[in-house]
Amino acid sequence: MSEGPVALRRRLWRRLPTWLAALALLVGLFAPLAANEVPLVARVDGKWSFPAFADLVGKPDGGPHDLAWKQWWARMPATSPDFVLMPPWPYGPDETDIQRSRQAPSVAHPFGCDDTGRDVLARLVHGMGTVVWLGLPAVVLAGLFGTLLGAWAGWRGGVADLVLARLIEIFVCFPSLLFLLFACTFFGESSVGFVVVLAALLWTSFARIVRGEMLSLRERDFVHVARGLGVSEWRIVTRHLLPQVKSQIGVTAAFCMASACVAESTLSFLGFGTGGTGSSWGTMLRQGADLAVVGAWHLWFFPAVALVAVVVCCHLFADRLRQRAAV
Amino acid sequence: MLRWLLVRLAWLVVTLLGITFVTFVVVDLAPGDRAEMTVVSSGSERAFLDQEAREAAILQLRVRHGMVDPETFAPYPVWQRYGRWLGNAVMLRFAGPGEDHAALWQRLAKALPVTAWLGGLALLIVFGCGIPLGAWLGLRAGSRVDRTVSTVLLVGMGIPEFLLASLLLLAFSVAWLQVLPVAGLRTPGSEQWNFAWQLVDFAKHLVLPVGVLAFAPMVMVSRFVRDSVARAATSPFVASMHALGVPPEVVRARLLRHGCAPVATLVGSLLPMLVGGSIVVESLFALDGVGHLAVRAALAQEQPMLMAILVVGSLVTLAALVVSDLLHRVVDARVRLPR
Repeated sequence: MSEGPVALRRRLWRRLPTWLAALALLVGLFAPLAANEVPLVARVDGKWSFPAFADLVGKPDGGPHDLAWKQWWARMPATSPDFVLMPPWPYGPDETDIQRSRQAPSVAHPFGCDDTGRDVLARLVHGMGTVVWLGLPAVVLAGLFGTLLGAWAGWRGGVADLVLARLIEIFVCFPSLLFLLFACTFFGESSVGFVVVLAALLWTSFARIVRGEMLSLRERDFVHVARGLGVSEWRIVTRHLLPQVKSQIGVTAAFCMASACVAESTLSFLGFGTGGTGSSWGTMLRQGADLAVVGAWHLWFFPAVALVAVVVCCHLFADRLRQRAAV
Repeated sequence: MLRWLLVRLAWLVVTLLGITFVTFVVVDLAPGDRAEMTVVSSGSERAFLDQEAREAAILQLRVRHGMVDPETFAPYPVWQRYGRWLGNAVMLRFAGPGEDHAALWQRLAKALPVTAWLGGLALLIVFGCGIPLGAWLGLRAGSRVDRTVSTVLLVGMGIPEFLLASLLLLAFSVAWLQVLPVAGLRTPGSEQWNFAWQLVDFAKHLVLPVGVLAFAPMVMVSRFVRDSVARAATSPFVASMHALGVPPEVVRARLLRHGCAPVATLVGSLLPMLVGGSIVVESLFALDGVGHLAVRAALAQEQPMLMAILVVGSLVTLAALVVSDLLHRVVDARVRLPR
């Protein structure tokens, strides 16, 4: 099983999008742990605290002794037994510093800083968090609902199938962006509303795929055999049929994740809040497009690259999944 | 064929009913209705400092829009209002009760040509460039050129419309090459110019919006055609034609026809893409088309306008779906045979 360097390189290259997508997902899920101005672990006057983890579930307390964490740490004498462990990227998305306003990329801030001196990399990481925390629940919800409905209709056939086919056609004709936009205006601050509407628009792609596969699978011999052996319908569908469409569901989920990403950033670019608190790539791009004209190119360039990279990685991942399933 | 078409059209009506009903209910579910929006945005906040006066004004508007019973002020149930809307909509009267239907149609009629120009030109580019590009790549499937261009197309598919628009605006209009106009459809004061210059001006204003609108669907079409042609190239009929000594040009022509036929099925999914894209493009380039109108109607929760736009939009989309099915049956004999 020896592998030449060329083959190895090619294999790694093919796997790159998968790894990048996984990395983006992980960073997005745990954005407050990856980039934050509060420490992961701190020991103050002999007491332990975990402010960044508190940020993951809500807002953390301010720093000790009415000082920001960094100020407190800067004043600490070297001999003190107290210590802080900062996250990998020790800047918060909302940590302003007017001295580094519109600073071009440098070693300290590789992606530069925006007009109020917020670090662009930290904002990108938290923007990924917004996308993941809005997109992932929506895709999971849509996947569950669409798969179940599609499997049921495809398995049953007849009236159920007819109704589902019409329902899918209705949703295909919907101008989904207009719908999301409208939902944004009235769900305003709540991200739950956005997630539900996004799921309501995405479930048809799952239902369509699963239904189509079910229609062809249920006529196969092994299904007749299973029936003849007295296996229950539920068990046939969940144990014998659904595992066969697993990879197609995965492909659809990856595409849906990409479109959720695009939808979120498009809406926030147009100035409609998507309910996420904190930074969003669309908002960064809108501000960046205005400021890029006056020379702060990095404010537009890096969010744009990040957005395209994530979407392309999702597409490539889906492509690879499909190729592997086809072989 | 005729029977198939009739059944299809009957289902079209059912689908349209479904679409309008779902939208009606969702618009209705929104907290804060049109009456409240009007009162809040009327700017005369001072007149409504008094909570009671404010409530009265809202109620008055609700009666005028036919949302509540004028006697008891109890809100009408959704299905009843939907029924009333449907009754009016069948006669193409989309404005709410007691409102000017002609005015609404006039606003729509002013916006429609803009969107039609955008969409029509974009469709032309999508098919005019997408199919040849895809076919060209499909004939070279697996070669270095194909791999390179396919990768570029894949990355292109990942560029959202708003991002492309903002990049092109930066490049051509604002920052680097200030050659193309930023917004609108004509230069102010161009009415006095002669016709040729007006045409050039109009074209210059359309380049960026149409390009942005056409980009994503074009990439989709060319990828689709490439795969389809590449698949056709490996099918047995091509091998047998080669074996029989049919000239390569003829084989290629047959191959292309076979490979490009499935594009007919794409027409149905292209139009929703263009509709969604026109919202973004019209907002960013400040064109007064239907997309822009829809955004403003959504913000003001102007239910009649939203519904009218939705009906027009879904009619076009559904018609495209039927046409694409029809085309598919015409082009591909195998679809017809099972009947």
